[in-house]
Amino acid sequence: MPERPQIVFAGTNGGALTQFEDYAAVGGFAPLRKARSMAPDDVIAELESSGLRGRGGAFFPTGRKWAFVPKPDQLAKPHYLVVNADESEPGTFKDREIMLRVPFRFLEGCLIAAHAISSQHVFVYIRGEYEQEFEVLRESLEAMRKADLLGGVTVVIHRGAGAYICGEETALLESLEGKRGQPRTKPPFPAIAGLYAAPTAVNNVESITTVTSVLELGATEYAKLGVENSTGTRVFSLSGDVVNPGNYELPHGITLRELIYDVGGGVPGGRELKAIIPGGSSTSILTGADIDTPLDFTSLVQAGSSIGSAGVIVIDERCCMVQLGIRVSQFYEHESCGKCTPCRVGTRWLTQILQKIEGGRASQPDLDLLLSVCDRIMGKCLCPLGDSDAIAVLSYVDRFRDEYQAHIDLGRCPFDGESSLEGILAPSAMHESPAHGIARV
Amino acid sequence: MSVGAQIQRLRKQYPESTSAVLPALRLAQEEHGGWLPPEALREVAEALDLTPAHCLSIASFYDQFRLEPMGRTVIEVCTNVSCALSGAQQVVEAFERELGIDAGSTSEDGAFTLGSVECLGGCGWATVVAVDNRHRLRVQAADVPGIVEELRA
Amino acid sequence: MSELVAVTIDDRPVEVPKGTGLVEAAQAAGVEIPVFCYEPRLGPPVGACRMCLIEIEGMPKLQAGCTLTATDGMVIHTAATSAKAAEGQEATLEFILVNHPLDCPVCDKGGECPLQDLAFRYGPGNTRMTLPKLTVDKPIPVSPLIALDRERCILCYRCTRFSEDVAEDGQLIARNRGARTEIATFEDEAYRSPFSGNVIELCPVGALTSTLYRFAARPWDIQNVPTICTACPVGCNVSATIREGKVKRILSRNHPEIDRGWLCDKGRFSYPHLRAEDRITTPLRRGKKGLEEITWDDALDSAEEMLRNAGGAIVTALSGSETTEIAYALGRLLRGGHGAHSAVMPEATSTALEAFHLPLSAIGDAEIIVVVGDDPVVERAPIVDLWIKEARRHGAEIVVCSPAGDLATEPGGAAARCQELATPRDALGKKLRAAERAVLIWSGPGGGGGARLAELAHELGLEEKAGSGAFHLPATANALGAAAAWAASADADEANPEPIELLIVSGDEAAADPSVRALAEEAKRVIVLTMFHELAAGWADLILPSTAALERDGTTMNLEGRVQRLRRAVPPPCPDELAWIAKLAARFDVELASEAPGVFEELAGHLFRDLALDDLGLHAPLPARQTYETPAPSSSLPAASPAASLETEDGALRLQRFRALFSGPAVERVAQLDFQRPDAEVELATAEAERRGITSGDAVFVRSNGTSVELRARVNRKLIEGVARIADEHASDLHAVVEVVKA
Ligand SMILES: Cc1cc2nc3c(=O)[nH]c(=O)nc-3n(C[C@H](O)[C@H](O)[C@H](O)COP(=O)(O)O)c2cc1C
Ligand code: SF4
Ligand code: FES
Repeated sequence: MPERPQIVFAGTNGGALTQFEDYAAVGGFAPLRKARSMAPDDVIAELESSGLRGRGGAFFPTGRKWAFVPKPDQLAKPHYLVVNADESEPGTFKDREIMLRVPFRFLEGCLIAAHAISSQHVFVYIRGEYEQEFEVLRESLEAMRKADLLGGVTVVIHRGAGAYICGEETALLESLEGKRGQPRTKPPFPAIAGLYAAPTAVNNVESITTVTSVLELGATEYAKLGVENSTGTRVFSLSGDVVNPGNYELPHGITLRELIYDVGGGVPGGRELKAIIPGGSSTSILTGADIDTPLDFTSLVQAGSSIGSAGVIVIDERCCMVQLGIRVSQFYEHESCGKCTPCRVGTRWLTQILQKIEGGRASQPDLDLLLSVCDRIMGKCLCPLGDSDAIAVLSYVDRFRDEYQAHIDLGRCPFDGESSLEGILAPSAMHESPAHGIARV
Repeated sequence: MSVGAQIQRLRKQYPESTSAVLPALRLAQEEHGGWLPPEALREVAEALDLTPAHCLSIASFYDQFRLEPMGRTVIEVCTNVSCALSGAQQVVEAFERELGIDAGSTSEDGAFTLGSVECLGGCGWATVVAVDNRHRLRVQAADVPGIVEELRA
Repeated sequence: MSELVAVTIDDRPVEVPKGTGLVEAAQAAGVEIPVFCYEPRLGPPVGACRMCLIEIEGMPKLQAGCTLTATDGMVIHTAATSAKAAEGQEATLEFILVNHPLDCPVCDKGGECPLQDLAFRYGPGNTRMTLPKLTVDKPIPVSPLIALDRERCILCYRCTRFSEDVAEDGQLIARNRGARTEIATFEDEAYRSPFSGNVIELCPVGALTSTLYRFAARPWDIQNVPTICTACPVGCNVSATIREGKVKRILSRNHPEIDRGWLCDKGRFSYPHLRAEDRITTPLRRGKKGLEEITWDDALDSAEEMLRNAGGAIVTALSGSETTEIAYALGRLLRGGHGAHSAVMPEATSTALEAFHLPLSAIGDAEIIVVVGDDPVVERAPIVDLWIKEARRHGAEIVVCSPAGDLATEPGGAAARCQELATPRDALGKKLRAAERAVLIWSGPGGGGGARLAELAHELGLEEKAGSGAFHLPATANALGAAAAWAASADADEANPEPIELLIVSGDEAAADPSVRALAEEAKRVIVLTMFHELAAGWADLILPSTAALERDGTTMNLEGRVQRLRRAVPPPCPDELAWIAKLAARFDVELASEAPGVFEELAGHLFRDLALDDLGLHAPLPARQTYETPAPSSSLPAASPAASLETEDGALRLQRFRALFSGPAVERVAQLDFQRPDAEVELATAEAERRGITSGDAVFVRSNGTSVELRARVNRKLIEGVARIADEHASDLHAVVEVVKA
């Protein structure tokens, strides 16, 4: 069993710290007092030296992000901290558990971050589907308000309404301003012109919660955990064909094998491990042969993928990789905001071509077309959503080319109706009539 | 309190009132039996000094806002990859059988709407089924008759 | 002059001011970056369509050129010099064409379609999309004026951005998300906005088209004539599309200082009135059997006879829609030939504002704008409303002092408000004094045609500040030019003839004006110059058909004081006014040119310091500011007493009428514009409505002295108490004091 230091979930003993007193008893709110006794720049410096990098997907150093926010005397506008609690990346469900089990540590982190960027206004944008989590946050916030801990900062918990794209930071800001959640072009970056065109830091729930722990432990102690370039722990979301799915807080750098087999209990029924999506559905797929890859930023880049949101999806031998492509592509098609052309049109086109392949109606040029459409999406969209679809599909074809080829050569799916994804009904298919060429997988 | 008055309270939370449009639409949807008929959009528009068209533009962007009447109980099954690998399709089909309707439709008596949804953020507890936005975790096809019976009661 | 930066585009070095957009920088280097969604007039770039992908050295990914600005040393490659950029462009075009129908041959946009052009130049030539395209019902009406073909739409969001960010009407929207996104209105209601037609010109494909132009012409058999719109005093620059001698559509012709390429729907869509059913083309004379058609020779004989018999006891009612030349020619004929100096002007005008000349575009840059007057700006000068909105988006403070404005002001209270603003302690007045760029606008009747406003502007010291100025919004297109021309045509004082032997009514506005009709009852004989039978049939003795602005050559002077050139777009169906006026004048030994350039040459000497017609060019310049002259104490400026408060009985309301933009003889003759005409409603303050148990939408009776009209009530939160606001066309014969009761 790998060592399991608890940073984010410290003091929970597997349970939840949802009572104000319980959290205070494990040292809660001391980090906030400490931070408030420090100059904002010193808090930022502490974060920089901790090596903490964003847990939302882009892995951007948290301290550096805050350093980009102009000081109040440089830009006399209100400053905003916006927390991204929109967690919608398929395979990722960690922020939810953080908000449920350590809501105070999270809210404390919000206040520390607000202090660091001299902000008086915090918005927590929580996805609309998280109802229980919303209520827990609301109650916890109330308790902190009663305990007079807010220090003049207003914290608004704002509910989304069902749109994956609102996890993208600029789309989130648009949505928070009451608009359609469509990404903005950058520059300007949110740090300069974010919410209401004012300086804004956008951070993920886990990042912000970890901030509290960094202040508690001190940067040096924190940085001892994990590996170079990827310090600290990570809450890995483990799901799919695995015996013990769930969230596990582990240091960066443990291997996929340790996570899937030692912690997760392996693949059920002794079936063969076929593939792993290591960082949420937007990351490139790995094969069973990559099982010893360490889960940290650099190692995953070397393996041709990325750590993303650390949502690890385990896929066993029963799954048809073309069907996987369809289902993933349907997701991006459904979630495309519709603003830029390559994403809006390309994601749908990819689904259609994949369905043709799965249906045994495709010939060799269709496979080439599939790859070419991926190429034509990649690097041309307004935000990374379209790229995500292309990256995922390209990686499926790249790593499981034989299986794609077999569909063409055989003129049917080699799984003969036995794939674990057979017949799956995606929301995008519910909207479309068969005349539009999209039916069930 | 009228919807309009509640919306006035909501808008105070925000530096700019347009930010209140999502919470306002959610409120209006609850008041109007789970969907946003044109009157509801007009109400929200009036309360926030927007046009009904603008409110429609916003509402139609987000999956959780409904522009058609829904059943009294809305059942949504996550069919994204992790849930799908764990039997989500069997769960969908079990609901179709129990409710006697196809996914994507509402029963004739208006009691149920059944649909599939994208990832609900519960992949480790597959299959996730949202019943009126409350999540039930680790649902299997075999659980479905019991759930439906419970909901019918 | 801002700092220059050096950039290289496709190996061509160019220097541009820092902050210049790359699309414009490329243009400066003679390189095209193709665009669809990019349109600087719609606000900051959105980077949606991805047509403009370019490679920038040092950046690993392709960039949307439209979203970036030039920085020093930037090296840019477009498709011409970068394979990667070329691939990006081809990719975007392929995606755009994936769902686009191949119906160019039957598309109104065919031949002048940016998509067609770019597909031809950069496109792959064949399609790799063999799967079913998205298909929908087409085309659907967005309003009686505009059709939407969703299959052709490429979702560039230009139209919705216009609606939301320029017109700020919030009517035309994007609905749904992703591939199912579509352009729509609420509940399929009509897109009702004074500016709706602009989306037709903004649409880069044939998705939004004019129902009036549908299948009317193909781009290669038309001709575009540059002229000036005369639907209001703004004087937007337009092109009239002509085919076989008929006007097929009106397009904007961007004058950056005046209209920035926007038009209102009145200017864009009222041209079908040229071929209205009751248009008259032959003179008519009242005989024993009523009006009879006569020849032009007979008509001129009759006119001559009437003029001779009148012995100078003649009154002329002008419309303010005459060209400056027509007004001058009439003046020469009547004043010079007959000593008939008495005229009824459409409205008061003043030259005092010449000290505060400013291009309209400067309104967009103002820091503070104060509007006084009873009428909404959009009803008088719609484009001015767009400039004010732009200023607000840029952070300007806008204060409207009117019965339904930010600073509640009694009807008729504009002059008093001006006096208040002029006092040293007035808070708003202080802000105006302090601002570098302050703009004053008078929108409504009264105030001596702007003299009152000029007084205030002078008091505030606005003539000293280059970015500050003042505008009076006249009610008619050429009130300034017509008044100046009439004044310049002779040198004698007006006398009021009693009785009136002959009344000459020039133009449709005057013919439709109740006060002119009242004068006609006093006059022994009446000559009416009009386009429409209905306007004069009941009361004229001689009707002379007149021409429309689109049929005229000449000049007008807009509300800025700018002289602009009208060009004849189509031949009139009857002789031009200047031609027959010259003939008639000759009979009285008055020598007059029979064509506009000749008349202009003569009047320019009196009016415009020998301005030459050619100086006006296609985009006329704004004349320089004059020094402000304090009006003589005896000047005829009306007293700025607080609004004459009418004695109202308990429960009675003061009627506040306004002339809606979508009204008047031309609008009334275009059925497709009906939906834009004002609703049959009466606006009431919240308290007034509550007092009467009325809510919005209720049917009510509005009554005064035996007249009663049934209207719908609308509660207007901003309207002051004691007032009932009704558009002219629904106020019919109501008197100044009314009562409103629930029906
Ligand atoms: C399509 C898309 C979806 C995203 N969804 C999320 C999300 O659900 N939660 C999140 O924290 N970040 C998400 N991100 C990343 C955010 O844009 C942003 O980088 C992040 O919130 C920054 O926080 P961090 O620096 O703390 O990671 C998403 C990005 C993209 C492009
Ligand atoms: S209708 Fe025309 S202007 Fe509007 S989004 Fe479509 S293509 Fe663009
Ligand atoms: S023109 Fe640049 S993205 Fe559309």
